[in-house]
Amino acid sequence: MTLHAVNDAAKRFGLRRGQSHADARAIAPGLASAPAEPAEEARALEALALWFERFSPLVAVDGAEGLFLDMTGAAHLFGGEEALLREILVRLEAAGIKACVALADTPGAAWALARYSQRRMSLAPAGGARDAIANLQVEALRLDEAAVRLLARFGLQRIGDLYNLPRAGLARRFRGQEGLALVRRLDQALGVEAEPLTPQRPPPDYRAWQVLAEPIIDRDGVAFALPPLAQALALQLERDGQGARMLALDAFRTDGRVVRLKAGLSAPSRSPAHLLRLLKEKGLETLDLGFGADALMLTALAAEPLAGAQTELAGDVRLAASDNLLAGLIDRLEAKLGEGAVRRPQGVESHLPERSERWLPAGPRPPEPICADPGRPRPLLLFDPPEPVEAIAELPDSAPSRFVWRRAAHRVAKAQGPERLSPEWWRPSPAQGPHRTRDYYAVEDDVGRRFWLFRDGLYNREDLDRPPHWWIHGVWA
Amino acid sequence: MISALSMPAVLPDPASFEEVAAAEPQDVASATAFAIWRALQAAQDKDDRRPVALIVTSAFQNERGRLFGWGARQLGLEHDRILLVRARREAEALWAFEETLKSGAVAAALGVLDAPSFVATRRLDFAARAGQAGALVLRAKPCGDLSAARLRWRIGSAPSAVHPLDARAPGPSRLTAELARSRDGKTGFFTLEQDHETGRLRLAAGLADHGLAAGQDNARRVA
Repeated sequence: MTLHAVNDAAKRFGLRRGQSHADARAIAPGLASAPAEPAEEARALEALALWFERFSPLVAVDGAEGLFLDMTGAAHLFGGEEALLREILVRLEAAGIKACVALADTPGAAWALARYSQRRMSLAPAGGARDAIANLQVEALRLDEAAVRLLARFGLQRIGDLYNLPRAGLARRFRGQEGLALVRRLDQALGVEAEPLTPQRPPPDYRAWQVLAEPIIDRDGVAFALPPLAQALALQLERDGQGARMLALDAFRTDGRVVRLKAGLSAPSRSPAHLLRLLKEKGLETLDLGFGADALMLTALAAEPLAGAQTELAGDVRLAASDNLLAGLIDRLEAKLGEGAVRRPQGVESHLPERSERWLPAGPRPPEPICADPGRPRPLLLFDPPEPVEAIAELPDSAPSRFVWRRAAHRVAKAQGPERLSPEWWRPSPAQGPHRTRDYYAVEDDVGRRFWLFRDGLYNREDLDRPPHWWIHGVWA
Repeated sequence: MISALSMPAVLPDPASFEEVAAAEPQDVASATAFAIWRALQAAQDKDDRRPVALIVTSAFQNERGRLFGWGARQLGLEHDRILLVRARREAEALWAFEETLKSGAVAAALGVLDAPSFVATRRLDFAARAGQAGALVLRAKPCGDLSAARLRWRIGSAPSAVHPLDARAPGPSRLTAELARSRDGKTGFFTLEQDHETGRLRLAAGLADHGLAAGQDNARRVA
């Protein structure tokens, strides 16, 4: 057992990371420790990475305890580089997170400065990375242990010691992968070799951003701050002729967390009123603002081309207008009732009733039918899956004369059938056994109610493993 | 029994807000068919090609079955005009019903509601007029509570007409529609039959002899 992390009090005793737990207990007998939870830490770091999107759209998680922010061209938004670093420190402090920050030309140099400069805040001016890291230990180059040991044997302790060595010799001296890794890390730190960052979330193309003077703590505050954001986003979308298909509202909380509200649109839209209404339907009150949020971000996660509104030349003008109304309606219903609550049917190529139509998530345009009418009378309401009934019928294949469904007995007055539907053998067979033929009967009881019954399995042919059974599949008008 | 009752020649014109209740829960399919027919009639009169929305609760779908598009098609409601909205609870269904009606995007909306309050039905009425849509409340059981519906129907199943080819088979579907209450005080009792050509409902001409109402059927008979 080794120490995974130590707090200030423990540091005063001289404890450090990686020390064995037994040693630490010997040094500080009153040591209180708890098992490390790397998974939990990783989750917390990812959450923190999202929160850092308030500074830059490109935030990457680095290892178990670091974050990279690409601040290219964005520092002036926060009053300069130094002010930016200070703001990050202050905000993290307020959220109870101790951190060291560094800003440099390359991720490698910033990494080295943040960890090995012994300062909470370090800033390498543009073009000054080479000098800024020259005095740091070679470990700051993100090397593995073997390489560090080897460098120590040669008496190379500072990064600056490596600057004057011939690169070819350096790579050769450290044979194989290690040599290459050393040169590469050095090049990355000095900006000779590019080091791309993998963002935690892909940066959105369209985002509107609002920092609030006072943290907001309830939905009314959010509702008040939203309209300018929606306007700004709509402007960006309009400039590019796009419409949002997926909308996200992020609230950056003061405690270093981000809460997000997502809403999908059935058709691209950039009308601020519609976007606002959609978010409100989705439930602003579901955003858990904690002790307050001091920044809001509205992004279009997915956008699609949206041409300027044009009424159809040949088509029905009223119909074109109702398409827009319908798209708006579907969005509002789905935002409130949940994804997939609004559906439209599509005829499908299958003669089995339950597979002969699909209910697709609705869009303003109906789905293209895949096949035509089955050509046989079909009931108005379908039970899917079918419900079992107890039926009395003449063997082997007559319509039932009586049946009991949901504990009510029905006497059959009229019946028509069978309509024999053979199974779709090319599909995986059901759990209870092989595929069986169905004989469908339209029956009417003596009160005039019409049912669609079927017998599953043919007598003498498909009844080896289990006897045929009767089911009700639908009711007619 | 039925023929003893007076049978007015025509049904009242579709109103902006009607209530269609099944006489018994097992008549829900007949009530649904009637409601769809009323909605389509109203839309056809105005040459309205907007979709028709059906708002159901999960409980209703599990209990009474879900709409089968091919069956609805035989009543004249094509696949491309159906919009099915599924709500978890009745309160949500009521909200969705009102929202759908006033959106102006649908020609009519059928909402399955068990017990809408009078205020709720008033709101539905306003929403229907705002969106120029027909509102039809579909109920699994009739109830004498207050409602703002202009026409209140009670739908029952009736034995089908004689099948033209096979006497033992169910013929064209029939249902009974009782106009229990209307704004202008008229009531009535109608027997409707599904036309085997168009699939739409129509007033059954007589109990013993079907088809006298339509001219084309006469021609066929003569031929």
